[in-house]
Amino acid sequence: MPVSPEAPASDDEAPPGQGLAIAAESLYLVNLLLLPGLAFLALLWLYFRHRDDAPALACGHMRQTLSASLWAGALLVIVNLLIVALGGYDAAWTWVIVILYFTTAHTTLVVLGTLGLARALAGQPYRYPLVGKLLP
Amino acid sequence: MQLQYKSQAVAKPYFIAAIALFVGQILFGLILGLQYVVGDFLFPAIPFNIARMVHTNLLIVWLLFGFMGAAYYLVPEETETELHSPLLAHLLFWVFLVAGALTIVGYLMVPYASLADMTGNNILATMGREFLEQPLPTKLGIVVVALAFLYNIGMTILKGRKTAITIILLMGLVGLAVLFLFAFYNPSNLVKDKYFWWWVVHLWVEGVWELILGAILGFVLLKITGVDREVIEKWLYVIITLTLVTGIIGTGHHYYWIGAPGYWQWWGSVFSALEPIPFFALTVFCFNMVNRRRRQHPNKAATLWALGTGVMAFLGAGVWGFLHTLAPVNYYTHGTQITAAHGHMAFYGAYVMVVLTIISYAMPMLRGREVNPERAQVLEMWSFWLMTVSMVFITLFLTAAGILQVWLQRIIPNPQAFMAVQDQLAMFYWMRWLAGLVFMAGLVVYLYSFFAKDKPQTAAVGEAQPAAT
Repeated sequence: MPVSPEAPASDDEAPPGQGLAIAAESLYLVNLLLLPGLAFLALLWLYFRHRDDAPALACGHMRQTLSASLWAGALLVIVNLLIVALGGYDAAWTWVIVILYFTTAHTTLVVLGTLGLARALAGQPYRYPLVGKLLP
Repeated sequence: MQLQYKSQAVAKPYFIAAIALFVGQILFGLILGLQYVVGDFLFPAIPFNIARMVHTNLLIVWLLFGFMGAAYYLVPEETETELHSPLLAHLLFWVFLVAGALTIVGYLMVPYASLADMTGNNILATMGREFLEQPLPTKLGIVVVALAFLYNIGMTILKGRKTAITIILLMGLVGLAVLFLFAFYNPSNLVKDKYFWWWVVHLWVEGVWELILGAILGFVLLKITGVDREVIEKWLYVIITLTLVTGIIGTGHHYYWIGAPGYWQWWGSVFSALEPIPFFALTVFCFNMVNRRRRQHPNKAATLWALGTGVMAFLGAGVWGFLHTLAPVNYYTHGTQITAAHGHMAFYGAYVMVVLTIISYAMPMLRGREVNPERAQVLEMWSFWLMTVSMVFITLFLTAAGILQVWLQRIIPNPQAFMAVQDQLAMFYWMRWLAGLVFMAGLVVYLYSFFAKDKPQTAAVGEAQPAAT
């Protein structure tokens, strides 16, 4: 069950760093869905601006989203370019694989971001499975 | 354990009928899946067009049974009063069930054209349109049942407490009934016919049904998480606003190539590109509520179905809808297996799963206990994963078939004919059928979970046994 083992945060009080955590998760999703690149730059700025003084909750979300964004870049851009380069631009099967792969990988990354955002909104930490451990 | 309100018990036969018809729908899905690759399978007893009609009509009817059962269960609890007329609810159940069964038997036993002649289609022609194939008496029956059902639910809400959940549910149900009236409007102009046909089909599934979905999910999450009602209501307001703002004008994505004005390519593209947003909000809503829960509800299966609804609705309706919704993309993908992929996952993710969510939550109580035994819940969760994962694969195989179909039929310099392309998709159709078998296995496990009991505790090895006397 993908539910948190932590005690639920109260509806009334926001834990320290929750705003930053929500901003990081939102930028991760915006990078995937709306403004690729630009939102990633904003996330980078957020990370370097607050990494030393942010509360633990915010730090965790910023690190996780940055790591997942870097993985997303590799999985969505580099892997697809490789498939096209190896399979040939004019081949039917290249496009069957590229579209299926891109849709599946992109959607998985978006769903992970959605779960991260839901955790941030609840004031809880979140670790991205597989793509969330790149940073120290 | 007793129900909070005695009249909630009327939901039980609705849920049982829904599940029985669900089984029928999947059986016909398997027949259809096989007919894609073994063209004369069961021909002429069950031709492809009839099997398809039964598959889709059963889906609609069992979901309506599920929605009605959900309304009869949750409205008394939300309004804090007994149902206005449990007797009417029972009566409507039998009317709807008999009408539905007769319609399906009619499809299977009588040639469709003869059925049309026999049932008054020459008086008011409404038949022969996808999803609205029902004979005139069935359509009239649906209207009568819907009106009497709305009267019953509406009177109950009027006399009791008004909550956002019941108001949103009522809006959805009224919309469902009103929009169905367009099933009777069948102009001879084909453009007009398709134009208003979508007012039933699209405005149901991408409009008012989403309100019903939101209300049911809101109710179940309220019960299993214990989160403040105001929090859930605020989320619901946002979700239904987004739904209606994007979904109503989003109808335009069906108007690209039917002869409607060209501006629909812009309106349809822009607004339907926004349609994933309410589903995204729904997913965040579900997980956020469970993360903030104030109690550990013992019904783990219902929690799993609720979370699954959020995710799968977003994937099926949101992502797979967006995949082919922009006019320049749809120019190539229109009416291919990509549409079928989207349809399968969207219906399963949004509506099948939400009905199974409320059944999972309510059925134990309708059977006199708070939750099902542990073993039954484990089996139910197995069925969740079997059905959900197999539906993901069905969708992926159909998507792959659709991409290849677009390429061979519409992209290459010498496009191939439809049936020539179908032959080349056979591998994907076989894989889809195998995934369908796994789905059926999941459904069998689901059915079995209703009868599973915990095994009696056996004495541990080495434990002292009482001396024989």
